[in-house]
Amino acid sequence: MSSEPDLTAEPEEHQHADDGGPQPEKHCGHGRGGMGEEVTRKEDKRFITGRGNYVDDIKKPGMLHCEIVRSPHAHARIEDIDGSRAMALDGVVAVLTADDLLEHDLATMPTLMDDTQDVLVNDKVKFQSQEVAAVIAEDRYTAKDAAEKVEVEYDVLEPVVDAEEALEDDAPLIRDELDDQEDNHIFDWETGDKEATQEVFDEAAVTVEEQMEYQRLHPAPIETCGAVADWDPGKDKMTVHMTSQAPHAHRTLFSQVSGIPEHKVRIVSPDVGGGFGNKVPIYPGYVVAAAASYVLEQPVKWIEERSENIQTTGFARDYDMTGEIAATEDGVIQGVKVDVLANHGAYNAAAQPSKFPAGFFNIFTGSYDVDAAYGSLTGAFTNTAPGGVAYRCSFRVTEAVYLIERMVKVLADELDVDPAEIRRRNFIPSDAFPYESATGWNYDSGDYEKALDKALEMADYEHYREEQQRRIAEDADKLIGIGISSFTEVVGAGPGKQCDIAGIEMFDSADLRVNPTGNAVLRIGVQTQGQGHETTFAQIVAEELGMDVDDITVEHGDTDTEPYGLGTYGSRSTPVAGAAAAVAARKVRDKAKSIAANELEAAEEDIEWDRESGEFHVAGAPDRSITITEIAAGAYMNSPGNEEPGLEAVNYYDPPEMTYPFGSYIVVVEVDRETGEVDFEKFVAVDDCGNRINPMIIEGQIHGGLAQGIGTAMLEHVTYDDNGNVTGGDFMNYLLPTANEIPNFETGHTVTPSPHHPIGAKGVGESPTVGSPPAIVNAVVDAMSHAGTSHVEMPMTPDTVWEELDEVGLSISPSENVSFEFDDGASEEPADD
Amino acid sequence: MEFEGEFELDGVPPEKAWIVLSDPMAVRDSLKGCQYITPMGEDFNFDEYEAKEDVEMLPEADPDTVADRAFVAGQKYAALMQVGVGSVKPRFETTVTIDDRDDEEFEMLASGGGDASGSSFSMNSGMRIHELDDGDGARIEWWTEADVSGRIAQLGSRVINPVANKIVNNFFGSIEKQMSDVDEETNSGVTDRLRNML
Repeated sequence: MSSEPDLTAEPEEHQHADDGGPQPEKHCGHGRGGMGEEVTRKEDKRFITGRGNYVDDIKKPGMLHCEIVRSPHAHARIEDIDGSRAMALDGVVAVLTADDLLEHDLATMPTLMDDTQDVLVNDKVKFQSQEVAAVIAEDRYTAKDAAEKVEVEYDVLEPVVDAEEALEDDAPLIRDELDDQEDNHIFDWETGDKEATQEVFDEAAVTVEEQMEYQRLHPAPIETCGAVADWDPGKDKMTVHMTSQAPHAHRTLFSQVSGIPEHKVRIVSPDVGGGFGNKVPIYPGYVVAAAASYVLEQPVKWIEERSENIQTTGFARDYDMTGEIAATEDGVIQGVKVDVLANHGAYNAAAQPSKFPAGFFNIFTGSYDVDAAYGSLTGAFTNTAPGGVAYRCSFRVTEAVYLIERMVKVLADELDVDPAEIRRRNFIPSDAFPYESATGWNYDSGDYEKALDKALEMADYEHYREEQQRRIAEDADKLIGIGISSFTEVVGAGPGKQCDIAGIEMFDSADLRVNPTGNAVLRIGVQTQGQGHETTFAQIVAEELGMDVDDITVEHGDTDTEPYGLGTYGSRSTPVAGAAAAVAARKVRDKAKSIAANELEAAEEDIEWDRESGEFHVAGAPDRSITITEIAAGAYMNSPGNEEPGLEAVNYYDPPEMTYPFGSYIVVVEVDRETGEVDFEKFVAVDDCGNRINPMIIEGQIHGGLAQGIGTAMLEHVTYDDNGNVTGGDFMNYLLPTANEIPNFETGHTVTPSPHHPIGAKGVGESPTVGSPPAIVNAVVDAMSHAGTSHVEMPMTPDTVWEELDEVGLSISPSENVSFEFDDGASEEPADD
Repeated sequence: MEFEGEFELDGVPPEKAWIVLSDPMAVRDSLKGCQYITPMGEDFNFDEYEAKEDVEMLPEADPDTVADRAFVAGQKYAALMQVGVGSVKPRFETTVTIDDRDDEEFEMLASGGGDASGSSFSMNSGMRIHELDDGDGARIEWWTEADVSGRIAQLGSRVINPVANKIVNNFFGSIEKQMSDVDEETNSGVTDRLRNML
């Protein structure tokens, strides 16, 4: 008897759907909303009808408002803070400075990389807009007015915002409060085999090298960060509603920082309007709100403005990378080398597992079978906001994928081999899994060529190659470029022994309770910021117990009621907590079998579970069957003597390995030689995330991630001027893509289940953000590579592209023939306000 | 950021230009967005200070009054400025110190800075008045080096230059007009007093 279907094998229905490209998938969830069904999102009713409950929606009696006073300087010593003019305003309750926090031992807080960050600046400002003081007032407007009246005297110091300049001998020392810190160097990190790699490079027939910058980005979730802290002196309990992607880990950190016992701290992460990694770290605003509530014994709300979010909370990327490939004359890759300079900002506050100072960047051999690889990376402090969060990616995988997918294109151009063909020559073969990479990763499963073939077919690749040549031959005004990215990710951290955050192992959890009337509540350790957990996780339980998806409620985000978990980021919800949900459901199913035996008056060994019907029956007698609803009643009203009453199970799941989703994206662009503008002609995304739980949610995730990939490649950049002013720190200057910039996406999929995951799933939310930027850049480069272009830096704004067109002699109006008269605006009459 | 420039005033002798540019009231009236410029004591309070109305202005002003209020080297002045840059219109509470005044060479150096909601600036400025080669007029050379931080630099970086240029152009246009109004009698009276003060 086998109650456990082999989900690691590809189900027939999936194979069928696999052939159809973007067409809707045939359901395989037996009509109850299980695996593979396009169940409508349960959470959408409240979101669409305006009944979502975000942190700023929370109002408590007597609630005060917190506004943070921020430094206009990037590097300055604080001489004096005078809050008297602010206090003189009606409705101002308190002005807090570092001195006030010192009294409660809350002046500093640990970052996720074991650094210490000022909550309010104690001595020296280290980046623009850093938190200097806080005003607490009866309403938000008063708090804002009062914040402008706090007088801070600064001794302004020379700032350094560029990582390379920060490491020069004469650079100003940013972290002078640290005893052993004599320069702005944070750490060096190495991976792979340096000597073996060098040998390969020394003997290689062909080597290529390219330097590229992955610019500083911001996750820019639509909801900024915020908190409502409420200290209850009657219960000695601190409740904090906050925008958190990891409420349990934040509870532990809160307890450690504040000294309030952990069972007296409750973190609630209600509806959260996008996280993308931005809401993994703890920020000073949370701590200030909590400290103020503790001191004043009233609830205190703190909500960020947009510019505060972009300028001070966790940024992403900011890697200056040099990649090298050694290959045979046929384009078979033998070795990969990378060297990176990482700008970590004023504090080492990257959000990654403790043992991985460069995250999972050493996945940089990508989808390719490479014998030797070596990577080195140096981290530097600068007078910029701290960060290095995994913006919609698994810990620096975005940077690694960008590097290798760009480098493969550079190699293809060097050898004049088609970029699709060169990938084919280097893919890890599908029969080589499980595969250990040169940098030590154990890839679980993959079939890269299949995904590429499908993408090539969907993109009508040959047609566009011909069109490209035709345009070149005709000296057309608009050139065609075709970019490919065949990426592999590593997601779903732990295992706990390898991956921890602040020492806490990265397992995750699920607690499933079936009620007497046959419906169930699943509480999970991860938290959703819009991914659709309330639907997806219910589908896992529906599949495993034969229940209807509507009979399952998923709860998350409240540390008082949910089991401990490490949170949602790095595409880990489905690989880790999803596994926990499946295992908890199977534990319930095991117990249900005993109850079924009791109800059916048969031996337990003779009871079989039928996935198709979702029922238990006596072996050889399918008519003698019982549903989970009937079993639930039995568990509470007619419990067998050999079992405890009730029907519930908990699972804490420590994944044995990570999962390796992959895909092939093909982007066709048209580049205007006159203006440098780039238009998307075709955008194909084929993803393989293993077994699929809800194809509609997956497709939605991919659409959103591709939009963010376009923002990355074409628009977004957090920029600084030499004085350390953030000149790309608001939505006037930090450009997010709108519907205008987004083309039609054609999505497809293949299914290669993860062999070690209970339901064969891998995680998908981040694939499009990881996979699409190199495809887009490769496409723009491809449009100009016949003239000698090897790289174009992101964001590829029209002027950046035009400069490259001009450089390689493709611009229609070359700069040498044009005299530019830049108007400095002196004669204009700008508006006064 | 560095700004510099010069302009010529035909028919205005350097002494006359020096008087007008030494008068805080004349400067206030010429500087768009400037609410007041006033000597600043230890307990000066920007919130409480009320700018004096009905100030006597050149050319009608009593020469003694003008001489009394002229910029003094080493003195700190408070100035309230409200300038629109792009989408922001911060109210800058500015402190300016006259670092040096040379009544012979007609050179004045000043430094200062100011803060407004989330923005701050600091500057070092100077000006020097030369006699025109033909002897009939003055050439005024000026320079300033400014650092701007905070919101105004973030939001207004693309429009700071035109705004600064506009303020400067308006300033000298207005100063020129005031100088033309100052008659010879006033000129000599104030000049004598100023020279005596040295």
